[in-house]
Amino acid sequence: MADVSYRELSLNGLWKNNPAIVQLLGLCPLLAVTSSVVNAIGLGLATTLVLVISNTSVSLIRNIVSDAVRLPAFVMIIASAVTCIELLMQAYTYELYQILGIFLPLITTNCVILGRADGFACKHSLLPAMYDGLIMGLGFALVLVFLGALRELAGSGALFANMDLLFGPVAANWKIVVVDDYQNFLLAILPPGAFIFTGLIIAVKNIIDARIDARRAALREKPVKGSKRVRVTGTIS
Amino acid sequence: MALMRVTSPHAHGPLSTSAVMQQVLLATVPGVLVLTAFFGFGTLVNIAFAALLAVSFEALALKLRGRPPGFYLGDCSALVTAVLLGIALPPYSPWWLIAVGIAAAILMAKHLYGGLGYNPFNPAMVGYVVLLISFPVQMTSWAPPRGAGEVPGLLEALRACFTPGSFDAITMATPLDVLKQNDALLVRDLWAQSPQFGRWAGLGWEWANLAFLAGGLWLLYRRIFTWHAPVAMLAVIALMAALFYDGGSSASGGSPLFHLLSGATMFGAFFIVTDPVTSAVSVRGRLVYGALVGLLVYLIRVFGNYPDAVAFAVLIMNFAAPFIDQYTQPRTYGHAGTGDGK
Amino acid sequence: MRKIHDFHGGIHPVENKHQSLHTPIRDAGIPAELTLPLSQHIGAPATPLVAVGERVLKGQLVAEATGLVSAALHAPTSGTVTAIEPRPIAHPSGLPAPCLVIASDGEDAWCELPPPCSFETLERPELLARIRAAGIAGMGGAGFPAAVKLGLKPGTQVETLIINGTECEPYITADDILMRERAAQIVRGAQILAHLVAPAETVIGIEDNKPEAIAAMCAAAEGTGIEIAVFPTKYPSGGEKQLIELLTGKQVPSGGLPMDVGVVCQNVGTAAAVADAVEHGRPLISRITTVTGAAVDEPQNFEVLLGTPMSHLLALAGYRAADNPRLVMGGPMMGFTVPDPGVPIVKTTNCILAPSAQELPAPPPAQACIRCGLCAEACPASLLPQQLYWFARGREFEKAEAHNLFDCIECGACSYVCPSNIPLVQYYRAAKAEVLQMRRDAQKAEHSRQRFEARQERLEREEAEKEARRAARKQAAEEKARRAADAGSGEADPVQAAIERAQARKAAQAAGAASEENPLQKLEKTVVTTRERLEKAEAKLAQARSEGADHIAALETGVEKTRAKLAAAEQALQDYQAQQTPAEPAPAGDAAQAAIQKAMAARAAQANKSPLEKARDNLEKLEARLAKSEARLAESRAAGEEEKIVEALASSVERLQEKVAAARAELAAEES
Ligand code: SF4
Ligand code: SF4
Repeated sequence: MADVSYRELSLNGLWKNNPAIVQLLGLCPLLAVTSSVVNAIGLGLATTLVLVISNTSVSLIRNIVSDAVRLPAFVMIIASAVTCIELLMQAYTYELYQILGIFLPLITTNCVILGRADGFACKHSLLPAMYDGLIMGLGFALVLVFLGALRELAGSGALFANMDLLFGPVAANWKIVVVDDYQNFLLAILPPGAFIFTGLIIAVKNIIDARIDARRAALREKPVKGSKRVRVTGTIS
Repeated sequence: MALMRVTSPHAHGPLSTSAVMQQVLLATVPGVLVLTAFFGFGTLVNIAFAALLAVSFEALALKLRGRPPGFYLGDCSALVTAVLLGIALPPYSPWWLIAVGIAAAILMAKHLYGGLGYNPFNPAMVGYVVLLISFPVQMTSWAPPRGAGEVPGLLEALRACFTPGSFDAITMATPLDVLKQNDALLVRDLWAQSPQFGRWAGLGWEWANLAFLAGGLWLLYRRIFTWHAPVAMLAVIALMAALFYDGGSSASGGSPLFHLLSGATMFGAFFIVTDPVTSAVSVRGRLVYGALVGLLVYLIRVFGNYPDAVAFAVLIMNFAAPFIDQYTQPRTYGHAGTGDGK
Repeated sequence: MRKIHDFHGGIHPVENKHQSLHTPIRDAGIPAELTLPLSQHIGAPATPLVAVGERVLKGQLVAEATGLVSAALHAPTSGTVTAIEPRPIAHPSGLPAPCLVIASDGEDAWCELPPPCSFETLERPELLARIRAAGIAGMGGAGFPAAVKLGLKPGTQVETLIINGTECEPYITADDILMRERAAQIVRGAQILAHLVAPAETVIGIEDNKPEAIAAMCAAAEGTGIEIAVFPTKYPSGGEKQLIELLTGKQVPSGGLPMDVGVVCQNVGTAAAVADAVEHGRPLISRITTVTGAAVDEPQNFEVLLGTPMSHLLALAGYRAADNPRLVMGGPMMGFTVPDPGVPIVKTTNCILAPSAQELPAPPPAQACIRCGLCAEACPASLLPQQLYWFARGREFEKAEAHNLFDCIECGACSYVCPSNIPLVQYYRAAKAEVLQMRRDAQKAEHSRQRFEARQERLEREEAEKEARRAARKQAAEEKARRAADAGSGEADPVQAAIERAQARKAAQAAGAASEENPLQKLEKTVVTTRERLEKAEAKLAQARSEGADHIAALETGVEKTRAKLAAAEQALQDYQAQQTPAEPAPAGDAAQAAIQKAMAARAAQANKSPLEKARDNLEKLEARLAKSEARLAESRAAGEEEKIVEALASSVERLQEKVAAARAELAAEES
């Protein structure tokens, strides 16, 4: 097995191959629950946990389970992980559990998780798999939170409302009202808003990437200038 | 002097895109005047502010996209969008409402898709629907028409727009609202009870609709667009109303005349459905397009959640326009059959 | 009165025809030099018959038609041929084309013409020959050789002969004035054409904006049975397809010809030229051309010799070059700009338009298409120009073709009405050119693919044949040996054997006919499998015998039968080989055969050589290779090629040097 660079893994999960805005996986929860930061954090954390658990377990059993039944096995693992998380949330953050509703059990079907299990964990050893799960989950969660923040801000003019749902009474007054007397912009909170804002985030990411590429290309251009073109064809007899 | 080398044709007709847009603008004048006469200066303020914003947003978007703003602003399409949205918004809307609507229309519906000619959805209607979804309260509160309540003056209209906090809006349900929410009463009772009703439809509304009809007919006469889409739409609305109108029981959806002269029917038929960019292209296609818009308008009005439906109906049909085009290609000279589905 | 139909679309541009109709046709005189492009028509360019320096007389044939679709050229006046070379001509491409240049001598001396005659006395082929000899090409604009259009296949029935006097383009009045002044000649021409194609009816179609012409034509056609049809003015009713629809209600099928709906269409100018050619034997050497536009002082119509430079006419009409930003040959809708005023008038030049800048302003920059549909309303072909435009711009040529791009007649109506000033027609021309180019490329690719596959197939076939022959030879040899060994052991039932043989042969034939597989191989297979079975059966029999089993008898008959089968199969194989051998050096295999033999001979020679010779040969070869590589190395060093390559070359040279040394040593060893 080739060595895995943790740097490369992190970069992939967080930016280059971000599950939410590059692979566009798991859009269903992404679009459905990101109407506020707290929802986004809740689902993001849950998804990350599930990813870590499933990647770890899949990596552990990767040499035992035969190829033919690997997918059902993965799904079983994921489903059990999700059930655990769900029960935990039910116990400790009941309101949030109720708000997230169906999207918690639906984590099972989130393509990111199965995708990482089949695409990465079942080919790598324990540590890289675990780390990949963590980073991919974080990448996903970050996008969720960012989107949630944008939508919450645009939709209600405030941020971090109802954080106590997740973090307990200490967080009750974390809410920051950014614009006083704000008219709720329902569109941002409704599903179309999710689409529009996701589109904008992707656009911004592409712009940044294009800029980076351009700068890199500019850097690369310079030293090469003046040198001869490398000839790669031609027969040697 | 070197002779110019250009390809034929060398002659060009008198019409230009900006001329088309200007005539459309001109044709809205009677309708706007009637609206102003009945509802006060609210609509005019809407239009003025919307126009200002639209031109600025358009210039901004063009600049960002690296196009020469001067040349592209000349086509007046942003102004048309602004005027149409300004008319569609309730009078005495606060400035931020207008700003959000225009931003959605110009930036999102138009320039994100590539600017004039490339937008699949009617920008004014996108702006309208964004607002309707986001701010249902503001979007459904119309001022009472003259004759049914007090009409504010120009100063109040400006105040309502720019310092919304200091303006106590008096609002009243629109006739379509009244009809929708009172399905326990006979239509005749409604008429007697509510001051919003006029001779055939809503007080003020009927005249505004007639004025837009007049503007539309003038545009038809100037051959700015063809009759197909608007006539198909109006015909289907009338037909549906006739089918479902049972003489005025509590369950009926209003008479054909009521539907034709209520809400945004005429405005929609002659100024929205005729938007060439987002409608079907061929003659048959426009007939189908207009008819389906009419059908949707009636269905949403009578059976849907919203009192008026032109915006939704048009947006939905915008989706369908390319599909309609596919199946209504005209028969080319020298070809057998209809060219369908090729 | 006939029913006038309508066609879809069309536009009403400002006519601007009156300017050039104030004066009668004026003779443009004889310019000092005439330039005759060899291709003034659709089809192959004419072939010059005269040499530079030769004196020609007016009306003399100077270039003959090349092939069927082509038209002859005649000297428009007497003079000397001074050059045959490419000159700038009036063509949309703006490229120079081969021309025949005549310096006129001012005498205007006619050559001898065929005697005048009346057309009734002439047979059809003779008539047609006269028209062809006169070099008449459609004078309305396209320039299709008239004789080709008129040379109908025997047995075709023409419903309607249409003489096109529509002249729907703005500004142009050449046909109008021709009809006014020479109505009788046109009618005679129409009669000749009718005589030629024998239509059920002959109609002259004229737009209602030419009342004088209509009156003149009606008077001239009185009593001839030729009908004058008048219809409302609308551009492009003069388009052939549109005119046919207007007058007959029929549409020419896409990609078809007017003849497909029983119509022949000719221009009034062509009719007049035909009358001239048939009745007076005069070839087509002049035509009527309108010179108009705000940049000429006296717009008018000229009778002008073909080959006259445009500048000559413009000067006669009072041309103000400073006011004229573009010079158009043809009308404002379909005409094309010319690169300079010196280009000659050709058979299709119906108009020279010299507009001022205000009159036809430079096109403003195009705006976005707002899909207003005005173009679709205007399109006479019922196309959707806006969609075509999208497809052409997006290079979605397949979709453009599905939207019937090729039915566009490039009339320009769509561009005319487009409020966004989009040069639609330009897009269509470009798209058409590109599609045609792609088709040509595809065809080429297809050809080479076929060639390649054919070659591949041939090689495979040869290979298979070689294989088969080799197998057959081997089989035959084995067979001989076996037969020698088996001789006398065959005690099969002869009847059975014969039946088997027959069956085997039939099977072999069937297999040979039905499948690609070589029948020989099949037969061989049969032999081999049968032999295997026989061996097995014999083994069993032996075993049974040793065990003293009771079914020995049954086994014995089995063995017998199998043996018989084997014999039959072998026989069949032999028969087949006997059949095949005479035909063996198949013609297709000749080359291969020869090559094999050559190779074999070479090998044999090699084998026959002494070791000494071999070593010497080897050394020679290696030395040659070494020399070559050294040369290559030097070359690449000189060219300053990349280091890696030079290194590689150097190392290969070294290797070769080692080999040469080894070979030398070997040779030395042999010699000693
Ligand atoms: S006329 Fe011009 S702007 Fe209108 S649809 Fe056609 S191409 Fe587009
Ligand atoms: S140029 Fe072609 S597409 Fe345009 S109007 Fe003429 S036929 Fe139609």
